[in-house]
Amino acid sequence: MAKYTPEVEIGLDRMRELARGNFDLKWMHSNPQGWGHKATPGPTGLRLQDVETGYYAQVPAHGSEHGSMAPRGCSVPADTRGLGMYTLNEMSEVWAENAALLYDEAVVRQWNSITDVPWHKLQKLPDDIERSVCQMCTGLTEVEFVAGDMPAKWLCRINHDFHEVKLFLATQIMDEARHLDVFRKRALANGGGLLMASPGQEELLAAILEAPDYTTASALMHIFGEGFVLTLFRQGEFLAPTEVEKAIFRLCMQDEARHVAYGVKHLKYFLERHPDRAEQVHKILDLGEQAIFRLTLEPQTAEPRAILAGGGIENIQLGMLRMAFIYTKQVKEYLRRLQIAGLDREPRLTIPKEIPVEDLAA
Amino acid sequence: MANTIFPSTDWFQALSRRMEQEEAEYRRLGSIDCTMVVQIETSGAPELYEVAFEGFRARSVRRLARLEDASPGHFVLEAPLATWREMIDNIRANGGPDLEHTLNYLTFPDYPMRVSGPDQLEVDTFYRYNQSLQRFFNGAAEVPTAYAR
Repeated sequence: MAKYTPEVEIGLDRMRELARGNFDLKWMHSNPQGWGHKATPGPTGLRLQDVETGYYAQVPAHGSEHGSMAPRGCSVPADTRGLGMYTLNEMSEVWAENAALLYDEAVVRQWNSITDVPWHKLQKLPDDIERSVCQMCTGLTEVEFVAGDMPAKWLCRINHDFHEVKLFLATQIMDEARHLDVFRKRALANGGGLLMASPGQEELLAAILEAPDYTTASALMHIFGEGFVLTLFRQGEFLAPTEVEKAIFRLCMQDEARHVAYGVKHLKYFLERHPDRAEQVHKILDLGEQAIFRLTLEPQTAEPRAILAGGGIENIQLGMLRMAFIYTKQVKEYLRRLQIAGLDREPRLTIPKEIPVEDLAA
Repeated sequence: MANTIFPSTDWFQALSRRMEQEEAEYRRLGSIDCTMVVQIETSGAPELYEVAFEGFRARSVRRLARLEDASPGHFVLEAPLATWREMIDNIRANGGPDLEHTLNYLTFPDYPMRVSGPDQLEVDTFYRYNQSLQRFFNGAAEVPTAYAR
């Protein structure tokens, strides 16, 4: 009876051949087209963009049919088994011309919540201000990781030939992990704690996670959701009561703007090739707009920002008026980004372009 | 150390030199690739300066005769001279901006400073590189400054 399985016996035979000096070495000349490639580091160092040139820059419109993890540009033996998991095999379904650039930017601009935030500058704040900061951080802790879960849901379905996109989405998942982490830390670090979750936010999160395909999910999350959150981060920096929150929001703002940039360029690439699919994108944006507008009415979302904008609970109404322009800014930037992507959303907008503050006040 | 006049090409070049001296800190923040146009509104025609960033330094600084001469793919930071002056004085007095004099604080309500650009993605680069841009202006803490008018 054989001591080992047939596979192991074959392996042992092969090792004996190698020990006798019978080498194969075909792999050394398996990819003549891809051999002799050089790359020159730029001022930043050696970026992904610097190596993806010539032969290696050729991204197929249809991803590899072998469906393995074999790297784009290598020689793939005929008997390489597919993994049977890639369903996003068309370049237009995921591609953005800035994906490699944004990946390079993401890896070189990483930060961490342990040493890059001046936590030692936290100071005791008036109770209403601390509660407002903590509520804002509760909401952001709740919402931020959808932008980690959504790419994670689609990442393993993207053909390996589109590695620039996969790598960028991997950085986004890490970015969002950091955002969840830093907002939770801020809520727990200064004598306060987490406050109330937001049922309204869950509706938007569900719409993102349940989107029927990657591109509509991306339009809803990268352009709509993260675009709106980017403005909230800018507002967070503006309202920050100490240097701690200032630093947190400024760092998060940078990450969020990268994600938005990918979403805009992806939608542009997609719509240039599939103009007939614009209606599907409009429909998912209809959902998103309704969900986010309901969110602005939720006390736990709107009131803490109004307290911070007014400088205290006694000035909450003044803060509410001061905040109205933020919504206008969010909608304006959202429409402009969609315009760049080739989607004229303005005639289809399902929410007001601005909140009539004076009418409301009256 | 002699005062450097703001606004002037010399002043922005002085900040660029500070950037070179602090390369380790800029490396920690990450590379920056964008073109910023600073517009200073005065009683006469606005003055325009373009700073092009690449990697960990400012690749070029130049004065523009008009906004149309700016490199493609830029964003514009515009404010009256008095606002720039207040921001620079605040940075110099504190070694960095206080809570109400950061670039984001000044631009967020579109007053007293405004960020604009040929398209929204160019404006978004101001958000993407905000830490580095803030650090660039923080260099003013080490540049004794006088004002043209």
